[in-house]
Amino acid sequence: MKALKLFERHGSNVTFGIIVFILAMMPVLLMLGVVSGGSTILFLGKCISFAIVAIGIDLIWGYTGILSLGHGLYFALGGYAMAMYLKMQATGGQITDFMHIGGLTELPFAWKIFTLSPGSLLFVVIAPAVVAWIVGYFIFKNRVKGVYFSIISQALTWAACSLFIAMSPYTNGNVGITEIKSIFGSIKGSANQGNMFLLFYAALLTLVAIYALSKFLVERKFGRVLIAIRDGENRTYFSGYPVSRYKTFIYVLSAAFAGIAGAIFVNFNGCITPSQMTITYSIGMVIWVAIGGRGTIIGAVIGAFFINICEYNLSSGSTVEVWQYIIGVLFCVTILFFKGGIVGLVQDKAPKFIAKIRAGKVKA
Amino acid sequence: MEQTINILFNGLSLSSIILLTSLGLAITFGVMRVINMAHGEFVMIGAYTTFVVQQIFSKFLPEAIGGLYYFVAIAAAFGVAFGLGSLLEKFVISRLYGREIDSLLATWGISLILQQGARSIFGSQGVNVTAPAFLSGGITLGECTFSYNRIFIILLVALCMGAVWLVMYKSNFGCQMRAVMQNRPMAQCMGINSRKVDNITFAMGSGFAGIAGCSVALLGSIDSTVGQSYIVNSFMAVVLGGVGNLAGTVIGSSIIGISSIFTENYTSSTIAKAVVLLIVIVFLQKRPQGLFVIKSRNLD
Amino acid sequence: MHHEIVSKEELLAKNEKAVPIRQLSPFVLEIDHVSVCFDGFYALTNVHTKVKRNDIHFFIGPNGAGKTTLLDIICSKTKPTSGSVIFHPMYKEPVTLTGMKEYKIVWLGIGRKFQVPSVFINLTVEENMILSLKKGKRIMDTILRKPKKEEMDHIEETLQKVGLADKRNWRAGSLAHGEKQWLEIAMQLVQKPEVIMLDEPAAGMGKPETFKTGEILKEIKKECTVIVIEHDMDFVKQIADKVTVLHEGKILMEGSVTEVLADPTVQKVYLGRGGE
Repeated sequence: MKALKLFERHGSNVTFGIIVFILAMMPVLLMLGVVSGGSTILFLGKCISFAIVAIGIDLIWGYTGILSLGHGLYFALGGYAMAMYLKMQATGGQITDFMHIGGLTELPFAWKIFTLSPGSLLFVVIAPAVVAWIVGYFIFKNRVKGVYFSIISQALTWAACSLFIAMSPYTNGNVGITEIKSIFGSIKGSANQGNMFLLFYAALLTLVAIYALSKFLVERKFGRVLIAIRDGENRTYFSGYPVSRYKTFIYVLSAAFAGIAGAIFVNFNGCITPSQMTITYSIGMVIWVAIGGRGTIIGAVIGAFFINICEYNLSSGSTVEVWQYIIGVLFCVTILFFKGGIVGLVQDKAPKFIAKIRAGKVKA
Repeated sequence: MEQTINILFNGLSLSSIILLTSLGLAITFGVMRVINMAHGEFVMIGAYTTFVVQQIFSKFLPEAIGGLYYFVAIAAAFGVAFGLGSLLEKFVISRLYGREIDSLLATWGISLILQQGARSIFGSQGVNVTAPAFLSGGITLGECTFSYNRIFIILLVALCMGAVWLVMYKSNFGCQMRAVMQNRPMAQCMGINSRKVDNITFAMGSGFAGIAGCSVALLGSIDSTVGQSYIVNSFMAVVLGGVGNLAGTVIGSSIIGISSIFTENYTSSTIAKAVVLLIVIVFLQKRPQGLFVIKSRNLD
Repeated sequence: MHHEIVSKEELLAKNEKAVPIRQLSPFVLEIDHVSVCFDGFYALTNVHTKVKRNDIHFFIGPNGAGKTTLLDIICSKTKPTSGSVIFHPMYKEPVTLTGMKEYKIVWLGIGRKFQVPSVFINLTVEENMILSLKKGKRIMDTILRKPKKEEMDHIEETLQKVGLADKRNWRAGSLAHGEKQWLEIAMQLVQKPEVIMLDEPAAGMGKPETFKTGEILKEIKKECTVIVIEHDMDFVKQIADKVTVLHEGKILMEGSVTEVLADPTVQKVYLGRGGE
């Protein structure tokens, strides 16, 4: 009964606690030999980064009603910043092969920054935040909203992606920056398992911190203002709120989350390519949030894990084709019939279900 | 001088393809407030239809009339895209009226399915359509060469525009369509079957995307993502020109097409994308809703 | 002469009990030769009038007379083609409202209720009220500051006044139409505005409710100025201090209720539907 009550009141936090607990146990299970293969940990690490970017998207879309189809840009900006830093640490500030091939004789300025100090890691957040601020400031100030904003954000990513491919002496074009060791050193092979666990727990801790911060924000009056903007933007202006500033603020915050997520992703993935910057990839992130349940932070986390775990298990071998159909249908059906996604379904059904359990217990 | 003319000519042919794709987008958004992300896939469907028609012709018919396949392909592309569009409207789009952002997402799901469908049928490798013999070569005037296939595309689009104009402004159906666009409840009260109007409008928009696919097939190889590369530009043209307004769409597409060819010529296609985006953003600073603004007493 | 809008802190520092520092204008709003043109159509033509402090000032007129447009001009939803609106706050220098940001006008103390009820449907009644409080509209305030006890008391009191205290935890979207109207009025009151503009506050209300609305407006006019758009003539007779009749974007006449009702032209354009 107590557990039921706890779930009723703090369902999302309890669920999040369970997810974090399971994740935290994974390395232990691996050591005990219950789970095999370090690749599971690497994969879950990537999922953690996806959950972080999903939280950011949920804040702007689920809460504020701004649909960005270009968060891959911010994810990749964070990822590239991290990758450049790690590359420079590994090469000791030497010029890389692809720069040679591209005809550069000296390390470009953008790369030099990352040779200086670990402080340059701040660019993981600064780069996406600054871009998001510039975009947000001009677009929100002029009340561009709804699908117009979505189209612009899509085009922005599109342009940025082709820019990254074109500047191959600086970014290694389509190939991207590869063979990156994680921030805690190499994580490949069983000899480096300690590094991998360290990285995994650091990522998990970041997820917890970002979840807590987002939860804090949406539960304050600030969160109510966001919902107010979503439901009636003009009304919110006439209630005396500088709406465009709120929108810019939350957009920048979510871009910063995406940047952090990208940086974590690079550590686990070992490389970053422009494909993380495409429209398809960006909308993929929106799909996680939609299926998990928009407008609830936990929904974003659940969606990111759920979809990626399904994809991980289904999109290899003979089922690879089927997966594309499944995700397309799932997404379409969710939008058409289950606006609240998984969490919305649970919120709908759970009270009745709990009441049934209670009634059953009383009878017994 | 010759260079400028060449650029203008190429710009014009790109603009006309953009125009053909954005036409459908603009009409559907204007009439139904629905953004169709799967629109690019109708371009793809049109292109693949062209490919299939060509295959059939080259297999079963003598070479002499092989070149005529292209005209059949245009009709077939329009027909196939029209039919699929009508189905899509009936089962998906009709549930999304007024939910602009949701419509955008749900149709993205459709687009994933259609792309995978194309990969399942035609494989992930690109296929090529051989342009009919009468479209190879071009006219040379002084130092400028005007290739026949680009001239043909421009003429085709002009023809389509004429047809749309006739349908929209001279036919009974067009009158109903504009009525629904301007005031849906009122139009329903006047006895217009708005469901039917929506369906045909959407299907028509898809059909034109199919024709656009025909012209795209002349310009390069076809794969499952061929629609995606045109669709972003078309969206920008719609944003620029405003929706539900033929003139706006024409102007929007021309600005996007010509400016992107111009910048591409002097710099690179990458910079061109950035420049186009910049133009749209600067324009939106002045007119946040495009050229088309509805004034109402409702706050939101 | 017009000072830049002073920061909100400064505005709050001069609380309601401060003594006016200068000769206070008897008028709170000056609508100075305002014209609005939408694509060649003049919604308002050279409208010039003043609103007296602590009056209940009605704008009446047939549909399309430009009443709502006039309110749009005052709260900066629409920009006038020519002319301007000047606001004379109680404790500060006069300000020109034209061209100002909407939310800054709200900060100055001008509230507005819209014709179509527009409460935040996914928030509770109480959350709607908290969002409307005068203080704490900046980002950092909404994150860090919680409403004070006095503010919550004030919300409670206002909800009592409009009879929604029992429903404070209801989703605003589940309220009846009339209740939404009340909530929206309450949201304006809780901001403690100097000027409150109500666009058809009694629409969708029955006679007793309309009467009650009138009584509440009489109550609140002691503390602020009320501008009302309404068609219900009984309502106008009940509470109006001054009535301005608009017709086709122009002021037809202005005066007390009795003067306006007695005027033959007004009867002709507005009231004279077969000598009701």
